[in-house]
Amino acid sequence: MKNEYYPWGGDFTLCKNNGCVAVVLLQIDYTPPSEVAVYGPLKTENIGIEKIVANLISNPYIRYLVVCGDEIRGHRSGSSLIALHKYGVDKKNRIINAPGAIPYIENLKQEAIERFRKQLELVDMIDVKEKKDIDATIKRCIAKKPSCFGEPYIAIRIKPETTKIEDKKALHSRIIIDYMGIVKKRE
Amino acid sequence: MFSFTKKQEVLDISGIKIGGQPGELPTVLFGGIFFKGSPDFKKTEKNIQNMLDLSKKTGNPSIPDFFIKKEEDADEIIDFIENVLPKNQPFSVDIIEPNVKIKVLEYLDKKYLLHRTIYNSIHVGVTEKERKALKQHTPEMAIIVAFNPKDKSPDGKIEVLENGAHLTDKGLLAISKEIGIKKILVDTAALSPGDYSGASIAAIPVIKEEYGLPTGCAIHNVVEKSTWISKYFEGAKKTVDASSNVDIVLFGGDYAIFGPIENADLVFPIIAWQDILVSEYTENYFGVKPAESHPRRKFF
Repeated sequence: MKNEYYPWGGDFTLCKNNGCVAVVLLQIDYTPPSEVAVYGPLKTENIGIEKIVANLISNPYIRYLVVCGDEIRGHRSGSSLIALHKYGVDKKNRIINAPGAIPYIENLKQEAIERFRKQLELVDMIDVKEKKDIDATIKRCIAKKPSCFGEPYIAIRIKPETTKIEDKKALHSRIIIDYMGIVKKRE
Repeated sequence: MFSFTKKQEVLDISGIKIGGQPGELPTVLFGGIFFKGSPDFKKTEKNIQNMLDLSKKTGNPSIPDFFIKKEEDADEIIDFIENVLPKNQPFSVDIIEPNVKIKVLEYLDKKYLLHRTIYNSIHVGVTEKERKALKQHTPEMAIIVAFNPKDKSPDGKIEVLENGAHLTDKGLLAISKEIGIKKILVDTAALSPGDYSGASIAAIPVIKEEYGLPTGCAIHNVVEKSTWISKYFEGAKKTVDASSNVDIVLFGGDYAIFGPIENADLVFPIIAWQDILVSEYTENYFGVKPAESHPRRKFF
């Protein structure tokens, strides 16, 4: 899904455009109240987190990020998201103190990460699965009526340079294939 | 359908051969075994037997791929492997949690099972402890996942194999060799739709021509993450899931990790059919003789 507020797309459900709460679901069968701005699952500690960051900072009305449900073994995506918010990334783009297997933020600029850390207040509800508890926390966040953070921040996806190939029969810049199907390394 | 200029390696694990030129060997099929809650070994035994029967029918070798999520399940699963799988049957262990990886390696060694083990997997998240454990308890074969979080293109995949793309101190191939793993399968890391999912298929001929190593992936994961299929075409999901594996064969790949194992009844005939199609071309055009066990020999 993609829309003007969430330009990076992904697997999420939209609710109230100017809602102030976003909810990250970690292995939990739970539907947040319709007053939240957006909710959806998080699977991976790298690409998944990048999408959440990019999509949330483009909607300045969102000021709280509630992370709830059972942590994902191995990936530790929820804890890695929390670590990103607390500590940011190091020079190698690794989320500082993240427990996940491959917790790298490679496709966002530092500025976007800093914006995420400033715009959002993170509510750590990892291991909490009771609907009434999560609902109550969300309601408390909404009741605070936080102001809009300002202008949307549209994160540009950092893309590696693509190699231009002149011949149209090529499969890839590294290999060529002749009309019979023989693959060779390009000279 | 392709023929590679680079010499293609054929690797053997406990009698199962994997790799080579397209059309030479039948595609090897890894059936994913996932446990929800406590492992249901009765059901698993039945599913594995069914997969082995399908292997006999089509000629496509099968490898049970055990997804081990929790440390507390590891001993039980390995005991099951030791006691229930046929004595020469290779298998793979798919583990994410670093601590569980180390525990499983130690236990497999203790049970003298490492010569039948395919370690799934080594990737850019490999830790020092894991490297040490792999040196001490070296599996016969390992899958290297060419996942590069920055560059998901075939070039990015090659970058992690070559130099680790700054995420590891050296390339994943060098790390594996340093550990002492002699037999390497490359997994081209299938990612979700929207994340350059097609690159995992496009990378297969690129990596095979670059290294000559057996290459494949778990393309069914892309179907799993295509939520629009579940939402609008639930009835077709299993068919799409199983048939996604033909992409690997058509692009010259050597193995497919499919899942769950319950889909074997669909996956085996689909892949056998595709193997026959490839073999008919590659034998006639390139002179690649299909192996005795190839589906084309079984059915014609």
